[in-house]
Amino acid sequence: MDDPLFGIGKLDSDLNGLPPKKIALFSASPSVGNEVFGYQMIHENLVKGKKVLLYLNRTSPQSYKTEMKEYNLPDNGNLVIIDSYSGITGIQPEQSKNIISVSNPYDRTEVKDKIETELKKGYDLFLLDSVSLLADFFDFEYAVSVVDVIKAAASSHNISAALLLTDWGYTSQQLDMISSRVNVQIDIKGIEKRVIFGQYFAIIKCDWIVGRKFSSALFKSVKPGGIKIYFPKILVTGPTDAGKTSFIHTACKDAVSVDRIGGTIALDHGNLDFEGYKADLFGTPGQERFDPLLKLLGGESIGVILIVDSSRPEQFPRAIEMLRKTETYGLPVVVVANKADLPGAISSDEIREKLHLDMSTPLVQTVAEDKTKIDPQNPTKLKIDGVRKALESLFDILI
Amino acid sequence: MSPMIPTGFKSFDEKTGGLEPKKSYLLIGSKESGKEEFSYKLLESAASNNFSSVYVTTAKSATDLVNDFLARKINVSKFLGDKIIILDDFSRNVSPQAVGNPYTKILNGPVDLTGLSVTLSGVDNDFIKEGNMVVNILDSISVLLLYNNPVTLFRFLQFISGRAKISGITMFFLLDDKIHPQDVNETIKSICDGVISLKLENGKRYFTLTGVAKEVLEWTELQ
Repeated sequence: MDDPLFGIGKLDSDLNGLPPKKIALFSASPSVGNEVFGYQMIHENLVKGKKVLLYLNRTSPQSYKTEMKEYNLPDNGNLVIIDSYSGITGIQPEQSKNIISVSNPYDRTEVKDKIETELKKGYDLFLLDSVSLLADFFDFEYAVSVVDVIKAAASSHNISAALLLTDWGYTSQQLDMISSRVNVQIDIKGIEKRVIFGQYFAIIKCDWIVGRKFSSALFKSVKPGGIKIYFPKILVTGPTDAGKTSFIHTACKDAVSVDRIGGTIALDHGNLDFEGYKADLFGTPGQERFDPLLKLLGGESIGVILIVDSSRPEQFPRAIEMLRKTETYGLPVVVVANKADLPGAISSDEIREKLHLDMSTPLVQTVAEDKTKIDPQNPTKLKIDGVRKALESLFDILI
Repeated sequence: MSPMIPTGFKSFDEKTGGLEPKKSYLLIGSKESGKEEFSYKLLESAASNNFSSVYVTTAKSATDLVNDFLARKINVSKFLGDKIIILDDFSRNVSPQAVGNPYTKILNGPVDLTGLSVTLSGVDNDFIKEGNMVVNILDSISVLLLYNNPVTLFRFLQFISGRAKISGITMFFLLDDKIHPQDVNETIKSICDGVISLKLENGKRYFTLTGVAKEVLEWTELQ
């Protein structure tokens, strides 16, 4: 029979599932959460006919199953749960052959015994939600001792195990105590500035796949649907004819402009492969009537390149409006002052002043690669140095 | 400069000019001191002044909360779902299959602080993306303290206060000062910028405000 799976395509293709005797740690930042990884893993393995055991101290079994259903990752009736929550809140535990109640969740011995006894019955997958609550209820050393019990049982009974941990600011020594006991660690974090504009997971270590580098993946938790991986988008925007199309065509080898007649009237798109990072660049038309597109793409993007024409300061109010629209989404912005070598171009200090930019917003000047080859019907190649500098500035903010 | 947040209490707003936004406040007092009344009026006043609010209820369901608004003539019905979202951290303890509605998100219960943190961040993010100023009211810390160890809760409060600062959100935490040890109360005070103390005496309610620019150090009647 096949090994248990994570139920998330990227993890399963990178790691080939979670082999028996191996323990996975999902370590999440408090603003992102890891519970959906648990729902997805449980659902996937139940559907495949695996025996799954869940130790639950975060919420009640009924509430947990309601959440699974809301994500369209339902329990098929075979999930066995050690209920260590109902006893905390005093609510009536669910009476079912698949629910094992911990009568006193504050009793260290009972908690450990219940886990150990149940694991001996033989399961394909064990999930602990959550190890951080165990540490908070008792202490970190106790949580580590429970992990040791799980490790021993997993080894003796060929069980795959996963631990969910929320990092509420534990010390690195405490986290190392858990991390050193697991075989694979997956960190789940948010890309946070004023708002959380993206969340990603990354395989930090794995002891059964040797010599392979793992890439991180941006994801969304979708109700219904669960964890969905997506490709990051970078929005390239700015007033008409500022040079958005030129920027994208210079930055991306395979850029295309959809329905291009002179100024962009639909979308520019390019696949960016820059210093090991991949992203989709989307260029929006500069005309106001396309502002709903700005909002739509802004909501999906992780950063913004705002392009202005240095020689046309009369367009700056429009640029400010566009900047304001993107900033309200809390996205990081890099301003590109294009056509910096044209007659009438103003200095970057003047541009910064006219756009009301503070010093934390990077401003990069760009110019055409060869002014003698400018063709209004085709995108102009920009000098690569400026484009690279703009992209570096944006990735510096993001990472 | 961001506008001050009027509380809806004339005497308070006259003395203080309203509450400074982007700060965290502890609303502390005994059960009968009027914390709920204060937080309800604040919610109404914030919504009327174009702030978006998230109200976290831990001791009663969203349905009971809305009924309470009606009973106390707190006029927020028109703002529900638009300017006000309720996070119900109570219902699933009594009804595990409880589901939300356009203005209510159901949480998993008081032990799941991660769930609360993630949902609160999500709703706040949506408001901020719309360009709105945001107020969070957590009613109450006392209930969370009944189920969680204080150190865990301090870490949680520190985390969400830190995030609120970065995001420019104004936080209000309600705490019953008579049911927790003094050191717990003091630690929670130290996490907050301002402390609004309330008391009931001879049938009248009084307040003080400390820790912000316009302090009110003498007990002043709340009207």
